[in-house]
Amino acid sequence: MIIEKRQVKDQPLKVVVEYPEWDDSAERLMHRIESMNVSLPGRTEGSTVSIDIAELYYIENVERKVFLYTRNDVYRYDGTMADIEKAAADTGLVRISRTCIMNTMHLREIRQIRNSHLEAMLDNDEKLIVSRKYLQDIKKVFRRERI
Amino acid sequence: MKKVLKDTCILSALMIICVFAVSVIWSGFTAEILLVFELFLLAFIISVTLFLTDEWTSLPIAADYIVKFFAVSGIVMLFGFIAGWFYPSNFWMVFIYVGAVFAAAYFLDSIKTKRDVEFINEQILSRQSRKTDDEK
Repeated sequence: MIIEKRQVKDQPLKVVVEYPEWDDSAERLMHRIESMNVSLPGRTEGSTVSIDIAELYYIENVERKVFLYTRNDVYRYDGTMADIEKAAADTGLVRISRTCIMNTMHLREIRQIRNSHLEAMLDNDEKLIVSRKYLQDIKKVFRRERI
Repeated sequence: MKKVLKDTCILSALMIICVFAVSVIWSGFTAEILLVFELFLLAFIISVTLFLTDEWTSLPIAADYIVKFFAVSGIVMLFGFIAGWFYPSNFWMVFIYVGAVFAAAYFLDSIKTKRDVEFINEQILSRQSRKTDDEK
């Protein structure tokens, strides 16, 4: 398999797959790429926009309302945390507590703070509390990334 | 090795249940058989309690173990009194038994958590270095 990549500024991410024959490996590759191409509808002041997973920093459930957080904006999501987990199964999104899903693509560091609490530091300096119970799931995302 | 130990525990639990379940058919519920099933029931109740505690709380590791220690001690004490395992005057023994198990679990969990955090941070660093290499 030949892998080529090049930077094309000011254009959306584009993947072109060329294959001599449509076989199992080509199908698996396409399935993998398609599973990463997920966006969620977010509501803000009457309009609904499609938010790419890569833009999401974290998702929080506050009093049974789900909010999507990007670098600078917050959107309301009309669905459940379980719906998001199902839609984004093969992406960098991972549950880190009962009420929060984090995008590991924006994770800068996890640290053990005072009282052994775990804190995730995102690349926009936002801090999220991580439940120890979900550390294995975060590890799984990174293991998957290495494959 | 960890997987082998885990599988051994699961397999031995299944063997105990099967052997004693067959024994019930031949000799009915003797005191020994009853004790085994009571222990399995207690383990199930404790597992459900720990699952719910994990699901509904997000406490620091030490506080988490303290809460679970008192919850499990309470369950074992209540279960022990109902099953007639010990006399009410010996209730303090529960704290010693449960405390010993929790001290070992806390120690192992602390090490594991530290390792997991280190692994994740290493992966983030290697991802960042890959990204930097790609940009060059």
